[in-house]
Amino acid sequence: MRLTLGKITIKGLDFGSATRVENGKLFVNKEELVALIREDSRVASAEVFLARPGESVRIVPVKDVIEPRVKVEGPGNIFPGFIGKLDPVGSGRTHVLQGAAVVTTGKIVGFQEGIIDMTGPGAQFTPFSQTFNVVVKVEPVAGLHQHDHENVVRMAGFKAAAYIGEAGRNTAPDTEEVYEWPSLAEAMTKHPGLPKVAYVYMLQTQGLLHDTYVYGVDAKRIIPTLISPTEVFDGAIVSGNCVSACDKNPTYVHLNQPIITELFKRHGKDYNFVGVIITNENVTLADKERSSNYTSRLAEMLGVDAAIVSEEGFGNPDADLVMNCRKLEQKGIKTVLVTDEYAGRDGSSQSLADTTPEANAVITAGNANETIVLPKLDTLIGHIDVVDVIAGGFSGSLRPDGTIEVEIQALTGATSEVGFIKLTAKGM
Amino acid sequence: MCTIVPISKTVGANRIVPTVAIPHPLGNPALSREEEKVLRRKLVERALKALTTEVDGQTVFEQ
Repeated sequence: MRLTLGKITIKGLDFGSATRVENGKLFVNKEELVALIREDSRVASAEVFLARPGESVRIVPVKDVIEPRVKVEGPGNIFPGFIGKLDPVGSGRTHVLQGAAVVTTGKIVGFQEGIIDMTGPGAQFTPFSQTFNVVVKVEPVAGLHQHDHENVVRMAGFKAAAYIGEAGRNTAPDTEEVYEWPSLAEAMTKHPGLPKVAYVYMLQTQGLLHDTYVYGVDAKRIIPTLISPTEVFDGAIVSGNCVSACDKNPTYVHLNQPIITELFKRHGKDYNFVGVIITNENVTLADKERSSNYTSRLAEMLGVDAAIVSEEGFGNPDADLVMNCRKLEQKGIKTVLVTDEYAGRDGSSQSLADTTPEANAVITAGNANETIVLPKLDTLIGHIDVVDVIAGGFSGSLRPDGTIEVEIQALTGATSEVGFIKLTAKGM
Repeated sequence: MCTIVPISKTVGANRIVPTVAIPHPLGNPALSREEEKVLRRKLVERALKALTTEVDGQTVFEQ
């Protein structure tokens, strides 16, 4: 399998009479996009706003962030299982509007969605302050069940991203990246002498606003399986989760999967990157046992020497992380875990809900309970009143002067457990 | 009473009764009202039995 990602750098954003890219600037036909989203009879109203880096804009509650992409050559289309047909993706050519994003917002679905600030201290904690955002605000018809409401907004995001992605179909990319993914037979004999490495890609799968989909399948219903990284770059994995938005992977992050991208960089030099195993984080102990058993079984069948394991979320998924670690290590497969911490506001509490002595190489993406004060910004897209109830917020988060005090867990992507954020820490 | 027994062990609980699922530890929305009543009664009785049982270290009450 060979996939070329043609990246078109987006350096500006405006509304225009036709959705197109011109000299690196993305224009969006607002009326056409609104009409597309309103095709769903469950949508009562749809509005489109623009938010550019550095502007005094706050978006809340954020459900998903999606990068516009379009399949230019090869079978299938972006977001298979949701848009178009179900042909397998991951080969041919895909164009990416790099620097642009669709952000979905609207009435809160549950009680837990995220915040994106385009300027100020909050902007440093979300990677999506750096993207040119087309914000789609969708309100459902009255009386819609929560799960349907979530589906309406999720689908609106995918449709908007696919529609905007079309603008890149006939645009010449600024840069190109080529990714090759060989057959297992070939992968096993390549790069003799180098350690074989797999990536264990844990997907959040715990119900409403906690779900992830693979080719349209709710990932809580899979047993662990292999996926080609090139399929991930083509949108085979999408997000339906944003609860405690700091450490959930929006669709944008799946498309730009940082651990997979980094693994490619030293592949063939320092190690042989031979597999991506996707697994889930379900709500019963039996599911957790089954999935961790099968994750380690797949790694064993691949014959890898080491695995990187990333978690999505926190709390009981810490048990999935620890089970994956222990069972891999017991088969002689070295592990590195990537997670974040809920160590209390002063950082002195236990960071994870579960531990094991085998977890002796762990990377943290930060303490989600740290608090931050966000200034009042000029423009709000969405609904500000939810700040007191979203995860990371608390009664009194929204102060009378318009400033907000929240834990950084409320900021979309702040403690990304796949490392999709540039925040680092220095030793004291 | 908890669903994820390994976490209960990690935090040092002495008497552990495994339950159904994280979103519904003591019930099961897939069952009928009558079946669920039986399930809930069984879990509560198991918990009472655990409370009245002397333990020597961490003990999981599977039945």
